[in-house]
Amino acid sequence: MKDWQPKILAILCTWCSYAGADLAGVSRIQYPPTIRVVRVPCSGRVDPLFIMKSLQSGFDGVLVSGCHPGDCHYLSGNYVARRRFAMLKPLLEFMGIEPDRVQFSWISAGEGERFAQVMTKVTNDVKKLGPAKRLVKGA
Amino acid sequence: MKELREKVKELLAGKQVEMVIGWEKSSRSLQATPVFIDSPEGADRLIFDSTCGNNPAVYFTKDSRRLVKDGKKVGVVAKGCDARSLALYMAERQVKRDNIVIIGAPCRGVIDANKVAALTEGREVLDLSEEDGKVTLKGRDFDLTVDTNEILSSSCLACTYPDARECDIFIGEARGEVPNEERYTTIDDFEKLPAEERWEKMKDIYSRCIRCYACRNVCPSCYCNECFVDQNDPQWIGKSHEITDTMIFHIIRNLHVAGRCVECGACERACPMGLDLLLLNRKIAREMEERFGYVTGVDAGTKPAMADFREDEKQDFIMG
Amino acid sequence: MVRLDKDRFGDFIGSLTGDYEVYATVTVDGKSSFREIESADEIDSSCLVTDRTPKEIFFPHSEVLFEFDEDGVREVKRKGKPIAVWGLRGCDVKSLALLDKVFGSARQMPDNEMFQDPYWKEKYDGSLIFSIACNEPRSTCFCNWFGGGPHRKEGSDVFVVDIGDAYLMEPVSEKGRAFVDKMTGTEEASASDKKKAEELASTAKGMMQEAPPLEGLKETLKGVFDDEIWEEMSAKCVNCGACAFVCSTCHCFDVQDEGKGGKGKRIRIWDSCMFPIFTREASGHNPRHLSKDRFRQRVMHKYSYFADNYGEMLCTGCGRCVVACPVGVDIREVIKDVMSYQGKGAR
Repeated sequence: MKDWQPKILAILCTWCSYAGADLAGVSRIQYPPTIRVVRVPCSGRVDPLFIMKSLQSGFDGVLVSGCHPGDCHYLSGNYVARRRFAMLKPLLEFMGIEPDRVQFSWISAGEGERFAQVMTKVTNDVKKLGPAKRLVKGA
Repeated sequence: MKELREKVKELLAGKQVEMVIGWEKSSRSLQATPVFIDSPEGADRLIFDSTCGNNPAVYFTKDSRRLVKDGKKVGVVAKGCDARSLALYMAERQVKRDNIVIIGAPCRGVIDANKVAALTEGREVLDLSEEDGKVTLKGRDFDLTVDTNEILSSSCLACTYPDARECDIFIGEARGEVPNEERYTTIDDFEKLPAEERWEKMKDIYSRCIRCYACRNVCPSCYCNECFVDQNDPQWIGKSHEITDTMIFHIIRNLHVAGRCVECGACERACPMGLDLLLLNRKIAREMEERFGYVTGVDAGTKPAMADFREDEKQDFIMG
Repeated sequence: MVRLDKDRFGDFIGSLTGDYEVYATVTVDGKSSFREIESADEIDSSCLVTDRTPKEIFFPHSEVLFEFDEDGVREVKRKGKPIAVWGLRGCDVKSLALLDKVFGSARQMPDNEMFQDPYWKEKYDGSLIFSIACNEPRSTCFCNWFGGGPHRKEGSDVFVVDIGDAYLMEPVSEKGRAFVDKMTGTEEASASDKKKAEELASTAKGMMQEAPPLEGLKETLKGVFDDEIWEEMSAKCVNCGACAFVCSTCHCFDVQDEGKGGKGKRIRIWDSCMFPIFTREASGHNPRHLSKDRFRQRVMHKYSYFADNYGEMLCTGCGRCVVACPVGVDIREVIKDVMSYQGKGAR
């Protein structure tokens, strides 16, 4: 299974992170082709349900990315999101789910290179953990 | 109890409230049942002891609201945790402070029927009496006296706010804030276990869930008109007792009540299958306290933590 | 009637598991239920009414009806030996017979010739029931309200009484007689054994609370349908499904299709009329949108409508709902209040 590539869901906010991803693409910056992107208006839109359902469906990792604090297009969406993630991450770890499977980042629209770096890091982290087994339905 | 009944009689006779929600004796020796008193004579049914486990705040967001016509006042007998739920309701604009009269009751903790069943090896307790920190449990052929602490609900053993902080009247002797350094020991102990073991324990706990939603329905913080479980377009989780669906139900329910849960333990006591439901809630409550210095409902004016933010906050869990 | 000494019980169960899938009372983490067992050591004989209902042996909480994919539909057939249940109480035996009127061979509504539930039948028909007498009913037991009793035999295949050092086994049905006749390791029950059983029966009967007058319950309920009595009685109900899910006679179910990527399964799961969306229609209208309406529905179904359609109450007085209700609704109080109500529509 050494050719196994993880499937990672990237939930990106429209105004910053998605634009950053776009910039990476336009600049032809290479990064592992493991991500599937879901675009949301703001990281504050992300309900923990999205993350749980993704893990349940078999995604090996989930990354949620938004604007840097202070730069949110909707002013405070990412602050609220930050609090939500602050609860979700410790809770998942508490349950025994590997912490590196669900990660969060702030990536701005101009950070194409950084987007690629973050994706590479997440892919490598998840690769080390192997395919997701816990919380996968029907596993 | 006499003082409680007298005060309620006064309130009802003086028309200061239309109805008082409290507890009365039920057919089960270990658990009292909620009662809605609307006449002074009815006040004699009221009791308050360690069998009063429900959180009466839940009735303010249920259909029972119709029992009180708009604008009329309702009295509630409240333990510390119940009053915190009411404070939460005030912050979330579910209840107007002027429309309720909070009658604080001197709570010494609530009994967990499952702990009693373990002590009596399943034999039915027909009578219960309490005195001086000890409880006497009588069955058909046994008579046991134990320290109340041995059979208190896990929520009560960790409680720091036994008295209704926000209240209009207080019955009996208030205890004030009870500092309790040990209150998160069960959470700490669980965290010390290796991840594999924690996962297996979690699976073990939730495999007993029968998806009856008693935990959700007795919780005052769960009052959505349509619960995420019932949404079918999209359907978030399946409704069968498949383990991942069940675990996600509990994880998400706890995240939805994050920063709003008062750790009253009503969910754990309501569960007919005896699941350790408070484990997740209390982990979140501790995170809230450590990260944001927030405890639900101790101040009626505070915004719930998840609806609030500070610009500078610890974000070690976020890359960049 | 034969006598099986308790020291031979292990062998008895051992031989039973050879021919049957045996279910008995098992207690795990403080809660009792009927589970498949391999040996008598797993049985907890101290539990009376189990915390989980035995209907889940024949009508599980979640049951896959069939699976489907691009190639078509595949039924999930149950393989294995017929089911034997050891330790059902009289109330539970009756509840299974009531469910059989809905799902199985005893089907009455609308006609027996119409579809009987194959998933129920493949488990229930051919099952062997060993019911056990209750020597110490609980305060929450009220089987005597509905024609039952602690030593009730009807509906069982073999009726067992625990007389201390042995089990007395009395065949009740043809199937039971055939089984008992073939049993080894038993002796004919002595006169003193039988006397002991009779004494236990009368002591147990004495422990039960007397039933209130219940004549005309189903008509009385209809008479007070529109009255305000329901507001008060339903006030504390929080509309969870705990009562319906621990109840041995409640049988409402929902059918869910779960699938992804071209394949999936159809699953039947328990449902409860207490849930808010139970009667929600496609338009969004919900005729039982108020909690009091749903509460009333459950009581009416159990003690009025079912009685109209099937001739018996849909309740066996096991008391599990009384124990499980998180807010302490006691259905006995509800019935008594209705019967003694002197308001508008009451007779």
